[in-house]
Amino acid sequence: MGVSSLVLDPVKVLVGLAVLWAVVALAYQVLAAWGGGRADYSRRAGSAARGVAFSFTVAMTPRHKESVRRHPAKFAIGVVMHVGVILSLLGVLLLLVWPAAAHKVLSLSRPVIALSLVAGLYLLVRRAVSKDLRAMSAPDDYMAILATCVLLALASVYSSYSVGAVVCMIYAALLFVYLPLGKLRHAVFCFVARGDLGRRLGRRGTYPSATGRMV
Amino acid sequence: MAARGEQGRRITETARETLGQSVRGLGAYHMNACVKCGLCAETCHIYQAEPEPANHPGVKASKVIDHYRRYHTFLGKYLPGLVGARDLSPDALDQLVDVVYGRCTACGRCSLHCSIGLDIAAVIRAGRNVLAAVGKVPEGLQRTVDNQIETGNQMAITEEELKSTAEWLAGDLRLEMDDDGVEIPIGAKGRRVLYLVNPREVKFFPLSLMAAAGVFHAAGERWTIPSKFYDVTNYGFYSGDDPAARELTRRVIEEAESLGVEEIILSECGHGFRSFRWEGPNWMEQEYPVRMRSVLEILEEYIDSGRVKVDPEKNADRVTLHDPCNLVRWGGISEPQRRVLKKVVADFVEMTPNRKDSYCCGGGGGMLSMSEYGERRVMSGKIKAEQIRATGAKIVATPCHNCADQLIEISKKYQLGVEIQAVVELVYNALA
Repeated sequence: MGVSSLVLDPVKVLVGLAVLWAVVALAYQVLAAWGGGRADYSRRAGSAARGVAFSFTVAMTPRHKESVRRHPAKFAIGVVMHVGVILSLLGVLLLLVWPAAAHKVLSLSRPVIALSLVAGLYLLVRRAVSKDLRAMSAPDDYMAILATCVLLALASVYSSYSVGAVVCMIYAALLFVYLPLGKLRHAVFCFVARGDLGRRLGRRGTYPSATGRMV
Repeated sequence: MAARGEQGRRITETARETLGQSVRGLGAYHMNACVKCGLCAETCHIYQAEPEPANHPGVKASKVIDHYRRYHTFLGKYLPGLVGARDLSPDALDQLVDVVYGRCTACGRCSLHCSIGLDIAAVIRAGRNVLAAVGKVPEGLQRTVDNQIETGNQMAITEEELKSTAEWLAGDLRLEMDDDGVEIPIGAKGRRVLYLVNPREVKFFPLSLMAAAGVFHAAGERWTIPSKFYDVTNYGFYSGDDPAARELTRRVIEEAESLGVEEIILSECGHGFRSFRWEGPNWMEQEYPVRMRSVLEILEEYIDSGRVKVDPEKNADRVTLHDPCNLVRWGGISEPQRRVLKKVVADFVEMTPNRKDSYCCGGGGGMLSMSEYGERRVMSGKIKAEQIRATGAKIVATPCHNCADQLIEISKKYQLGVEIQAVVELVYNALA
């Protein structure tokens, strides 16, 4: 048994606990936000299910989403950053249960993660220099990007060295602790919000819509 | 000083309680989802007209969300500076007035185009709920709500005034249609349809009320206008005063029940349709006992069934259509008016963008009743003016009297030279 295994096991426990905290805390927040919900007494004109389906698919295409249509480059940069974050976290989670696969995922995706790091740094600078973004930002908004950039940096340099893996996992554990507390919780709430919007617009017959015009 | 401190504490408590109630249910999801990407900027007609941070939808939403964070998130409670969380202090509430009433019509265009799917308009309305609860609604808007509650309609028109206007219009219609049987019934029992009108039609736009009466007569409809609670508008919806909005809804439903009608038809009014059709049952926490539709839906039915015959050549000028946000985006009524217009006008042309993606004209959100924001309101109609000009239309049809008022001003300000008409006016004009 090597030194790395001895160190990694308690680290795995730490990451496991952090993931558990994040899942429980986020689930609690979503339930608390729901607060038992409210019945909708209006007579529906359309289908809530079709509205939700539309909201998660067609409504997200540039034809129907002006924010993407007008800002394709900025949107793409945001997507690239998120892909890197997802791959990094996937690698970390695989380290808990299947180290060989984790190593493969992190090694293969290293170029993407490195690109994501560049995208993340761009978003950080953009937030700092744009007067619109500064006006709506709090320290947490900068911290959230910085925190994910550090993860991306660690994941992009991680190799088979055990020290790198340990550092990466400890950092990921900290990130999972922070996840339900700050801006990063949008990772869950964005799906719920989009689903809710689709549900309401579906009932009213606004979604699905065949239209959507270029400006 | 102690009394003022106590008063401030009570205001904060009421505001805090209202915010909690307002976001209960799904609203809180939207308070937690914004990533502040800033990509929604140009979806807002006000930002387009004046691109400064205070007009950015993301900035406006964050001003409300910052208060939510203070009381409903862990970091907001214990490290407010880190997440920008703010107390609902009297000063902060004063600042919020300009944000949620003066710089946003809650048209929700940004909601549909948000990269996340955050309902920014719902966030803004939560802010209005809070301000209404602590008595900080702008004076003009509050006066309109008070008029509705105290007199039954926003313009404080008496029942006698309504009846004399109806008699006068019916007289004119009898001459125009060469038919002595034309009537504009008020408070008649046992009719099939209860028609709610905008008091502005009674006071300033009688032609649209007259046109509706003419079409009802041509279709052989058994209809009546309620004698007391006939106002299709609901300014409680705009001000964020849900108890007032609920009361206004309850009165109409009770009047419909007492008159024994089969369905309520809502005249052309964007927020009126949304308020009565979609929000009203939830304010009342019960399903309506009668059916409710927009007049646009019944106009289409009359034409399709052959109950009214139309000749599009009678409306020879080019016509375009403005989509009221609350009717189309938030009401789901986008096609009946188009199908009707294509049958009653000879040359119909769409604005771009349209339907759910249409820009707000700037007259929504109660803006027309808040004179302090008048200049900003007219300025915010700039993009709508550009849309209209690009169509080359001579007539702009819009199924909303608030939009009509704003479009008339926009036409003057930007020298568009267009005429604004209700859809029912074009249908009446096309009667064969």
